[in-house]
Amino acid sequence: MNPQYASLLIALPLLSAFFVPVIKAVSKKAVMPFLVLVTATQTGIAAWVFKEVYTTGKPIIVMAGAWRPPVGIDLYIGHFAALFAFIVAGISFFMAVFSWRAIKTEPVDKYAMLLMLLMLGATGMMATGDIFNLFVFMEITSITAYALTAYNKTGEAAEASLKYMILGGIGSSFFLIGLIMLYGATGTLNMAQLAQFAGSINPTVVQVGLGLIVFGLAVEAELFPLNAWAPDAYQAAPHPVTAMFSAFVVKAGLYAMARILYLMQSASGWHNVLKLLVIMATLTVFVAEFAALRQKDVKRMIAYSSISQVGFIALAFSLGSSIGVDAGVFHMMNHAIVKGLLFLTVGYVAVELGGSRIENFRGLGRRMPLTALAITIGSLAAIGVPMFNIFWSKVWIILAAVKANYAWAAAVVLTASVVEAVYYIRLIHTMWFSGGEGERIRENLAVGTIALFLVILILTIGVYPNYFWAVAQKAGADIFNVGQYIKNVPLMGVGS
Amino acid sequence: MLKRSLAIITLLIIGYWLAQGLAGVPFGQDKMLVGQYYLNHVEAQTGAINVVTAIVVNYRGFDTLGEVTVLFIASTGVAALLWGRKKKRTAKTEGSVVLTTGISLLFPFVLMFGGYIFIHGHLTPGGGFPGGATIATGFLLMYMAFISYEIPHGKFEVTEGLVGMGYVIVGLIGLAISGYFLFDWIWQTWHWGAGNIGRLFSGGFIPVIYTLIALKVGTELSGIIDNMLKEEVKE
Repeated sequence: MNPQYASLLIALPLLSAFFVPVIKAVSKKAVMPFLVLVTATQTGIAAWVFKEVYTTGKPIIVMAGAWRPPVGIDLYIGHFAALFAFIVAGISFFMAVFSWRAIKTEPVDKYAMLLMLLMLGATGMMATGDIFNLFVFMEITSITAYALTAYNKTGEAAEASLKYMILGGIGSSFFLIGLIMLYGATGTLNMAQLAQFAGSINPTVVQVGLGLIVFGLAVEAELFPLNAWAPDAYQAAPHPVTAMFSAFVVKAGLYAMARILYLMQSASGWHNVLKLLVIMATLTVFVAEFAALRQKDVKRMIAYSSISQVGFIALAFSLGSSIGVDAGVFHMMNHAIVKGLLFLTVGYVAVELGGSRIENFRGLGRRMPLTALAITIGSLAAIGVPMFNIFWSKVWIILAAVKANYAWAAAVVLTASVVEAVYYIRLIHTMWFSGGEGERIRENLAVGTIALFLVILILTIGVYPNYFWAVAQKAGADIFNVGQYIKNVPLMGVGS
Repeated sequence: MLKRSLAIITLLIIGYWLAQGLAGVPFGQDKMLVGQYYLNHVEAQTGAINVVTAIVVNYRGFDTLGEVTVLFIASTGVAALLWGRKKKRTAKTEGSVVLTTGISLLFPFVLMFGGYIFIHGHLTPGGGFPGGATIATGFLLMYMAFISYEIPHGKFEVTEGLVGMGYVIVGLIGLAISGYFLFDWIWQTWHWGAGNIGRLFSGGFIPVIYTLIALKVGTELSGIIDNMLKEEVKE
């Protein structure tokens, strides 16, 4: 099949989102099944793209309008984008199924549209090969995220969304200014061509430009001190949306940051930007872990835990070594699965019991045994217990940090894991060993199946990590090996 | 006081740093790598004589598709957040005589002017976005002049969806014909309007897409106005 059909990854969610008003005019009940159908189809396409890229070993370059870059915009669907387009689509599919059960607030048709567009935005951010196009997709992702955060229409939700919008707006304008500086210095927006020119740009311009871009993306990537919006937004957003935020929206921001950083690696002063990022990442881990310890609301606690894990990923990316990037990608993958599971199950409990306060989890092991079991496995995985998937990626991150002479950063990761163990074990204890009243609740089959699938995935990666580590290494090389990236993009000889 | 002076000092440091960076950007020098290519080839490759439009809709059409989506999200988001089971207009005073008489006479002309802007997008400055905004202005003036005026909300929403799909479908037809998404099949495959460059019936799919965009922007902005002006009434 023509590899250009990979552009359907962008075209399908768009077409479907535009189609929703028409469906709603016919029958309102058809909206949610349609959402599930679209996300399932998207998962199918993404699976095909994944298979194509990983069997041929070559990236798919989608050229919009048949214009060769840098004249036109290209999508670079390499090992990384293929893997994450698949993860994004898969998680969206699961959350679409969960939304069918969990979303009762009107207007559901608008919710379905926004969900599809969130999926579209994150896929686009990870796939694009043009830095301005990245900005456009970032806007799509973040504006959808603002709207979805406020979707429940409570006071809290409005406040969280407003906070997010203000910080996000500042972040995007920083990003845009940084982008303009790079464009002004090179005259091109194509990522591959920017990488070619990186060495010859005035060093101050690169440092300021990259600094602005990193700062701008740090809002989406939830890095300290620009992540103040995150816990509120995670808590206020509808449960399936929170899972999507944690599983791939923040990942898209992190990826964009890593991609732009490594593209510019031949620029002078590059290592200073990395050092700044290492400090931001460790602070993110540290602050978020201790904040999580104090939470009385389970959803909020997991939100903080998610932020700290994001800090790990950022740390791995900012080490500047190939093994660090591989470990970061591996952790991104594992974290998407684990936090997808945790937010799904905790959200499900909140839907059934009317809130995610810690009191509701008392005796959950008796009331909803399967859900409680899934939360337990998710928690153990998040701590980094051996035989679960996150153990491996944490080990790789620590090894990479030690190798890159950041032993203190490795120590921070270990300390953070201890703190993490404290509050997750407290949660497990509350669920299984503290009384609690209430009837046994019949658990939903669809949600249970998804949770079971994710649990099996966690255990499979935990026991047989080799295949997944190899995939992560390929995806990591896609980001780290810029020379190969430039070679893969069929640049036409404009200007160079 | 301490807080404020700290803030000022931080701002000064950031400002100095930014200025340093900006000073290093070679403004005014010839950095027309890609730009020169567009200028040299625009007529032959797109059939449009307005280079900006050709870049926006054709060369970098992917960005424009994204921008259309951003606006769509904005209108969807507003509709989602201001949703009410039953919404009505609650304005109490009618517009002044000047406004009501003026807009009754001018309304068709405002729409026509908007239409003119987007139909000539590939020839003159403007295009789908300003054209659509002009059309929405017409509806805004109607809302301001008359307290009971309402757009046919449901129909506008369906139109918005359909024209959006139209844009993607134009792109998908390109994918089917030539194997590339957003390929300009009207110009590059059919060579339609080749003897007509600089006049209305030329420019490949640019006028088609701009018409779709204008309808979309017009209905979207009118929808936002409608959502913001109406208030929920208790049953």
